[in-house]
Amino acid sequence: METSMLQLLFVSSLLSLVPLSSCLSLSPLRSPHPRILVLLDDLALKSSHSSFFSSLSDRGYILDYKRASDPSLALKKFGEYFFDGLIVFSPTTEKFGGSVDAASIIDFVDSGRDLILAGDVGMSDVIRDIAYECGVDFEEEPDAVVLDHFNFVSAKSDIDHSLISADSFIASSVILGEAGIQAPVLFHGVAHSVPPANDMVIKVLTGSPTAYSANPRVHSKEPPTLTGSSVGLVSAIQARNNARVVIFGSLALFSNRYFTSPVKKHGGASSYEKSGNEQFVTELSKWVFHERGHLKAVNVHHHRIGETQEPSMYRITDNLEYSMEIYEWSVNGWLPYAGDDVQLQFYMMSPYVLKTLTHNGQGLYSTSFQVPDVYGVFQFKVEYNRLGYTSLSLSKQIPVRPFRHNDYERFIFAAYPYYSSCFSMMFGFFVFGLAFLYHK
Amino acid sequence: MASTAGEVRALLSSLRSAYAATPTKLKIIDLYVAYAICTALIQVIYMAIVGSFPFNAFLSGFLSSVGTAVLAVCLRMQVNPKNKEFKELPLERAFADFVLANLVLHLVIMNFLG
Repeated sequence: METSMLQLLFVSSLLSLVPLSSCLSLSPLRSPHPRILVLLDDLALKSSHSSFFSSLSDRGYILDYKRASDPSLALKKFGEYFFDGLIVFSPTTEKFGGSVDAASIIDFVDSGRDLILAGDVGMSDVIRDIAYECGVDFEEEPDAVVLDHFNFVSAKSDIDHSLISADSFIASSVILGEAGIQAPVLFHGVAHSVPPANDMVIKVLTGSPTAYSANPRVHSKEPPTLTGSSVGLVSAIQARNNARVVIFGSLALFSNRYFTSPVKKHGGASSYEKSGNEQFVTELSKWVFHERGHLKAVNVHHHRIGETQEPSMYRITDNLEYSMEIYEWSVNGWLPYAGDDVQLQFYMMSPYVLKTLTHNGQGLYSTSFQVPDVYGVFQFKVEYNRLGYTSLSLSKQIPVRPFRHNDYERFIFAAYPYYSSCFSMMFGFFVFGLAFLYHK
Repeated sequence: MASTAGEVRALLSSLRSAYAATPTKLKIIDLYVAYAICTALIQVIYMAIVGSFPFNAFLSGFLSSVGTAVLAVCLRMQVNPKNKEFKELPLERAFADFVLANLVLHLVIMNFLG
């Protein structure tokens, strides 16, 4: 009895000493069932857009459907947020109910949480304001829609050519998946523009060169201001705090009807049995809710080659090695990230050394270099900003000292003439002294 | 032209004859000074070619040569019988000062040489 108990104790103590693999020891990004608030104009959207909502709940999200004017709406209480994500499918709501308004939604995004915002024809100023705060300017003209006389889908209800098929996607496998969107996306809604100075907004879907934004009922004298690829249909923002926002110009894009419709462009040669809407919306929702492209950098180490401990200071012309680990979040937990373009800077006002880190396939990135012949306080800086990925910005300060007095060799070869001259002067002084004293 | 060359030659020969009249003790000191200055010049030329890397070593060597030259010049001034300023200074006292100063100089030089 006692020996078996002892054996059990022994084995369990051994097991506790076995180190867990480093990706397991990272805390998960979020709970497996994130809560998402869905704000709707009309609860009938629950059934007309049920495919989209069921694709989200099948992936484990808990959806909370509320009317946008519901007086009991609240995003947070006492500083704690109830939800991890927000879907605003209420383009015509003038005023949100409860404690929700444009400012509170922007605060929601500022806290690092994600947002899907859909505008549509006849959208209210509140929605426009939220989009404007995120960097997206919806078309000001209230009745303007996106029109395209070459890429429209003929439908009996639509004589204006406002139901268009769009296939100018951004080329990013993080945002739109590895396979890419297989069919054009059906779109009927409002255009938006992105100021060219804004570099955080990603134009995920833009209009074709023949698209433009105008009011089809009014004969305007001037050409439309938004044309071609400056007509934004779907835009995404990866904020500096890594919150993700996707702004759509059309609510019908999510509807079951558009998901199942075939796409045959008017006069176009190719036709698709099923539009790309479902795939497009699914892949984007995966990106928005951080199922893809969320990076985390941990375990930064640096040491002299040949040692293992991290020194508090380096000397010029030391050889050192730097290593770190980068992981990407996925539904299965943190997986090693394989990137070939992560660079390390050894930086003091400007990078003295710039090296691309090599990885071992398990997420461990490392490189080695020689400290430059300049002393001062340097930083190990890694700045990684790639389209669709969270931005990594690490920096670790380290001082670099010049040679100490005893870091040089004892007798410097270049100084031998000086050594010899000193000794010759001493010898000469001795000989002179003798000569001077004992000369008759 | 010819007159200036002739004048220079006359000047040099009168210098040489005057110098021949100096006592031998002073000539020994002059030789020593010339030796010190020569080593100083050699070190400067070496530094100009190779660069000043161990600058402390260069300074040490250069200043040891120049320092002994200066001290020797002082000794010559004190020992010269024609010099009215040091008439009552005994020779031994002057030489003792010279030795002490040289000891201090070489102590400093050896420390700074690295």
